[in-house]
Amino acid sequence: MGRLASLLISVGAAALLLAAPPREASPSAARLGPQQTLPSQPLAIVVNRTNSVDDLSMSELRKVFLGERSHWPNGRRITLVMREPGEPERTTILRDVCQMNESEFKNHFLHGLFTGEILVSPKILATPIGVRKFVFNVPGAIGYLRLSDVDNTVKIVRVDELLPEDKGYKLHVEAARTGN
Amino acid sequence: MRSSAKYEAAQSPAALVSTMDRVVSAVLRHNATLLLVLVFCAVAVVGVFVIRDLQTANAEAQNIYAVSVQGLREIGELQFDAQETRRATLYALTTNDSNLQVEYADQSRGADQRVTDGITQYRHQARLPAEMALAERLTHDWANYLSIRDEVLASILEGSTKEAVTLDLSGGVPSFERVRLDLNEVKRLYDDQASQRLGNVVATSRRSALRLIGILGFTFLLSSTAVWAIQRSRMLSAIQLAKLQMEFVASVSHELRTPLAVLSSAADNIADGVVREKADLERYGRVLQNQSRQMTGLVDQILLFASTEDRKKRYVLEPLDVAQIIASLESSTRELIQGAGFVVERHIEPGLPQVMGDLSAITQCLQNLVGNAVKYGAQSRWIGLGVSMGPAEHPPGQEVRISVSDKGIGMDRSEIPHIFEPFYRSPRVMQIHGTGLGLSLATRIAETLGGRLSVVSELSVGSTFTLHLPIVERERLEMTGVASPPYSSKQT
Repeated sequence: MGRLASLLISVGAAALLLAAPPREASPSAARLGPQQTLPSQPLAIVVNRTNSVDDLSMSELRKVFLGERSHWPNGRRITLVMREPGEPERTTILRDVCQMNESEFKNHFLHGLFTGEILVSPKILATPIGVRKFVFNVPGAIGYLRLSDVDNTVKIVRVDELLPEDKGYKLHVEAARTGN
Repeated sequence: MRSSAKYEAAQSPAALVSTMDRVVSAVLRHNATLLLVLVFCAVAVVGVFVIRDLQTANAEAQNIYAVSVQGLREIGELQFDAQETRRATLYALTTNDSNLQVEYADQSRGADQRVTDGITQYRHQARLPAEMALAERLTHDWANYLSIRDEVLASILEGSTKEAVTLDLSGGVPSFERVRLDLNEVKRLYDDQASQRLGNVVATSRRSALRLIGILGFTFLLSSTAVWAIQRSRMLSAIQLAKLQMEFVASVSHELRTPLAVLSSAADNIADGVVREKADLERYGRVLQNQSRQMTGLVDQILLFASTEDRKKRYVLEPLDVAQIIASLESSTRELIQGAGFVVERHIEPGLPQVMGDLSAITQCLQNLVGNAVKYGAQSRWIGLGVSMGPAEHPPGQEVRISVSDKGIGMDRSEIPHIFEPFYRSPRVMQIHGTGLGLSLATRIAETLGGRLSVVSELSVGSTFTLHLPIVERERLEMTGVASPPYSSKQT
């Protein structure tokens, strides 16, 4: 009975977090207009520096970001760090890794938490600095940052054996910022 | 006749003795000044010690502030930052907002970095074994607490609040307590060091105060002694002067009374008709003449002394031949010398230059010296008159020395500094008539003429008084010319 109540509370919290309205597009992006081509920037997948994982395949990454994989090989629990809905980085991850839109992603987690297949919902951070500091403080954390926001407090993970600056790297986000 | 070389040889040791006498006299005269100089030196030496003590105390006080007070302040900051590290960690437990949790974690890490820096600095400054051991323990305990703190923070951020609380209670609280105790121990060590240094400052200050009191007491004592010595010296001088003046009055009265008695007696005899014969009247006339001249001479000497009292008497200076001076002296003292039955032995160097002076003044001066030689020459009945040339002491150059010697009673060395003082008469010669003005007058004349008077004497052997006169410089002589009118000089 208690476990059910706890589960319901978790699902409720996840629903509140995931149901946050998407941010409007930034003014600079609006000024560019849909017909204009925006320059892209690599989106790095970052983990804690103590994490022994250096390389993830795109399918492994998808499992991690969808909460289907809960622990690292060293046994440490995986803590997923996401940006707020509407942020270009989150949009990129949902589109290129999860292959879902915002609504499908929310439903996936609501369902997973309700059924117990997913243990914890993602942590939502408002800024890339927050993401970086969170990953720095939590040994099992994984998140994503534009390459320009990465510093030596976190470690970049190869995706399909490619680093963000390598040719053929799949994760890219629009360079125009929505403001942090 | 003595040879010239023999005379010069006799002069050198005599000059040395005279110089020594002058130094001894100066020391005796300036004993109060020497005492004051001694006080000044003592005060200066102790003052140096006191200043050094004050500087030490000042350096120690600065050291206390720099090391102990500043250290205590830093320890206080360290304790605050350690608490801040823990407080920020616990604040993260109070919220579910990941953004706020990250911010609290950031604050905790900022505070722990300041603590780590402070501990590192303390380790570098540690010198005593106790300090070094404590620094090691503090470093270890702080690192232990930080590792637990990191786990607690990670659990909080992961959302495992219960796990974080359990971890903090089991590991964080005891490890932070050890850190707290370590910091208290550091503070206690600083307190002990500050107390020890404060004790040093107090001891230094007490020592300085004692030294100051000592030097003030010493200065007061010596100053009082100096003032007492000065006052006593002045009082003795005044008493001595009064005594001398009384003796002078008595002496002059006696000197005047004797011829006056003779004059009065002779006048009475003539007036009463006791003396009627022409031969007797002529004899009485000579007696009256001699006594009148003696009185006149005595009064002239007193007046001359009075006129030279302010050392402003004007003399007519002119180039004079030594022969001219000797002739004048012989003329004025012939009667005296012959009357006393003395023999004069002369030693006059040939080719002596002219001297600058006033003939009557020089004659008066030498006349006093010859008079003394007659008075104190005792049974030898001998007077030596020498004239030579030699180097002058001041101003540099050449001088003519006219000396009058006797083989009489002489003087003790202790008497010599006083014989040129006015009214001074040696107790040994009180039975010999005199006013005590002759040598004082002679000295003033010599100094007013730009020369000086010196003496060499030995008890029961005799005395030699020498008048040193500056010679006429060639160029000065050429400018003036022997035939030119004499010029006047004012000597003070």
